[in-house]
Amino acid sequence: MPTIQDYSNNFENKWCPGCGNFGIQQAMKKAFVAQNLSPHELLIISGIGQAGKTPHFLECNFMHTLHGRALAVASGAKLANHELNVVVNSGDGDCYGEGGNHFIHAIRRNLDLTLLVHNNQIYGLTKGQASPTTEEEMITSIQSHGVLNRPIRPLAVALSLGAGFVARGFSGQPKELSQLIQAGMDYKGFSLIDILQPCVSFNHLNTMAWYKERIVDVTSLEHDTQDHQAAFQLAMEWDERIPTGILFQQDEDDFTTRNPWLQDGPMLHRKYEAEKIRDYIDGLYK
Amino acid sequence: MATDLTVKIGGEAGQGIQTVGDLLCRVCRQAGYFFLAINDHESRVRGGHNFLQLRISDSPVLAPASQVDLLVDLDGITCEQHGDELKDNGLILCRPEQQPERDGVLAVDFTQLAEKAGDKATENTVAVAVCVALLGAGEELCRNVVAQFFARRDDLKEINLKAVQAGFACVSESGLKGWDLAWEEQQPGGALLNGAKTLALGAVAAGCRVGAFYPMSPATGIMAQLVQLAEHFPMVVEQAEDELAAVNMVTGSNFAGCRALTATSGGGFALMTEGMGLAAITETPLVIINAQRPGPATGLPTRTGQGDLLFTLHASQDEFPRFVLAPSTVADCFDTIQRAFHLADTYQVPVVVLVDHYLVSTSMLVSERLEVSPDAAPKAPPEPPDDPATYERFALTENGISPRLFPCQSQALVKATGNEHTPDGHVSEGRQNRNAMVEKRLAKLPAMKKEQRPPLLYHEEAEWLLVSWGSSYGMVREAVDILREQEFDIGMVHLVDMWPLPQEPLQGILSQHKWLLVEQNATGQLGWMLRAELGVEPQGSIFQYDGRPLEVERVVKQAAARIGG
Repeated sequence: MPTIQDYSNNFENKWCPGCGNFGIQQAMKKAFVAQNLSPHELLIISGIGQAGKTPHFLECNFMHTLHGRALAVASGAKLANHELNVVVNSGDGDCYGEGGNHFIHAIRRNLDLTLLVHNNQIYGLTKGQASPTTEEEMITSIQSHGVLNRPIRPLAVALSLGAGFVARGFSGQPKELSQLIQAGMDYKGFSLIDILQPCVSFNHLNTMAWYKERIVDVTSLEHDTQDHQAAFQLAMEWDERIPTGILFQQDEDDFTTRNPWLQDGPMLHRKYEAEKIRDYIDGLYK
Repeated sequence: MATDLTVKIGGEAGQGIQTVGDLLCRVCRQAGYFFLAINDHESRVRGGHNFLQLRISDSPVLAPASQVDLLVDLDGITCEQHGDELKDNGLILCRPEQQPERDGVLAVDFTQLAEKAGDKATENTVAVAVCVALLGAGEELCRNVVAQFFARRDDLKEINLKAVQAGFACVSESGLKGWDLAWEEQQPGGALLNGAKTLALGAVAAGCRVGAFYPMSPATGIMAQLVQLAEHFPMVVEQAEDELAAVNMVTGSNFAGCRALTATSGGGFALMTEGMGLAAITETPLVIINAQRPGPATGLPTRTGQGDLLFTLHASQDEFPRFVLAPSTVADCFDTIQRAFHLADTYQVPVVVLVDHYLVSTSMLVSERLEVSPDAAPKAPPEPPDDPATYERFALTENGISPRLFPCQSQALVKATGNEHTPDGHVSEGRQNRNAMVEKRLAKLPAMKKEQRPPLLYHEEAEWLLVSWGSSYGMVREAVDILREQEFDIGMVHLVDMWPLPQEPLQGILSQHKWLLVEQNATGQLGWMLRAELGVEPQGSIFQYDGRPLEVERVVKQAAARIGG
């Protein structure tokens, strides 16, 4: 049985003290152990930003890729070997900004992978510019008269695209978050977990206390997770009350199940047959 | 007398002149003739003026010809646009209402004959039959080819055979004398292929299992061929949301252990440069086909050029080793793409295969046998170390190549990052480590250079040489033949492996001969490379950048003028 310790390494952690990423990291480790996965059975693909560094601070296979492109790399890995357990770590800027197109189409594609978006509503790595989820009117070093653009509502976007597993977690509740990650990994298909987290260095509006005042677990709302319309309404809620937990979950065939070319096992394990190729070429000369 | 005839068929987009060309190619193949067909079309789905030009010969065809023997006008403007290309003894085939005043015209009411055969849609088959009849072939041959073409659709087969009959009857009633070629059905002397097909087939031969792409002319045909091959071989092809996704998907597939391919054109390749850098620094094999078309930006979407050589050489920020390969012929595409996969894996570097619209879309009889290379099969990853914890994906080695394991296939953890990193794959900003990693990646170069095929040489002892690269091989070679017939002492040096530049015997030859650069761009990008790498200067240059296939006649004229003067 794997243990939490198996997922620890001694690579120097570079997050700020008090960063919400620690809670997410803790929840991930717990979830992987609960999934009975050893580090060598897990592949993490991450983007760029503080979230993108996550796999360096865990023991696992990983590729820490480019800004916005984690989902594309992860999708390619799954095309090659759909038996891989793939988790993607991304951030609000990485996933909803630079990688917005990949986010949209990864949902449509519905490959069996779990996307964790570390959403601190700010750019941390580049020191405090507005992200796609930063509140309107918030003042930053660049948005010096306040943010003019409306924030994206990622869960509503996902729901509108037909996502089958849409959840919101909170880094201040690692236990609940861990359960969400497990549910996401259990789900056969694309699972989105948008994770609210404070940025202690650059976001002085959406603090730990700000989130704690607003979040409410959907299980306390008598919400039917198969009710798409109700999920959509919850996904649009924000200022007064922020629902967390699984907003929507519905089984449907994932990419691999639907793809006629993947029915004979992962491409990685398919045999190379030179004779078959030669025979095919022979046919062209007849 | 040697046979060398050119048929040009002009029509609107959507009229099906590609089918006419395809059927004529099949007739030629069935009769043992060599041929080469080029497509010239505008970037539109309907209307406009497109043409297909087919050269037929009893010896291998290297290039399209500029003079036309039989001009087929299906759109009413072909005669006007291409009349000056018609030889004096050439024939015109057109619709009755568009009949030009001259001898040697056969007006055919294609629509009426097609409707009589059972469907207006068989107009193209009528046109094929009339062409074949004028070229002197028997109806039986034409019937057999058409029957085979529609073998899976009995209803279509029947009416198309009637259309063949109508076409032949029309020619015999007209009394017009065409050509008297020796048409006899025989064992085909080769395969009917285009560059798109040989590239896709070569990828399959190399064990490519994943394709990801975003549609872009002229590269889409390559992926379409890959999709067709996926019906016969293990392969998954995914249409990505953009080229950024496509290139990163194939990097993800390669990282996971599967050979993967993407194909695009200049604009898409510009987007892929970011992902190319990720593959480079994570030392993940990557094969990209860049099917060039003229730019910048959207440029001429459906036309050809060689404007991306230097871009490809320098694509993506900072420095890293890469291969740039530019196959010379439709058959060479098959060998080159197999090598691309082999080299990408062996050296864990990006490989760009530079082709262009001309090479991808030109159909021809390939008489040489396509051989699956002994190096084609993907190799299994090395054994992980006894203690998996000691595995380092980027271990420093003398030749710069580190053992590449696949994630989740052993106890050893595979860690990679687009940041500069330590040998075990963790982010590092250390100065010594940075130097060591840059030097490790570049340490691959000496061995990479040795992999490069020398340029193709033809009469390289001559006083003058034409120096060219990639898809223009056939045209330049034909130009050399014509110039030699005109008693010019001329040969050619043709590069196919562009980068790393194979220095010998290039340096020796180019510094000891007078030479002219022949390129399909406006500034001489190969010339720039040769000057920078070898310090050699041409005595002149022949550039064509109008988006059309390189014209043999232009090369001949300009070379003769330069040498003669």
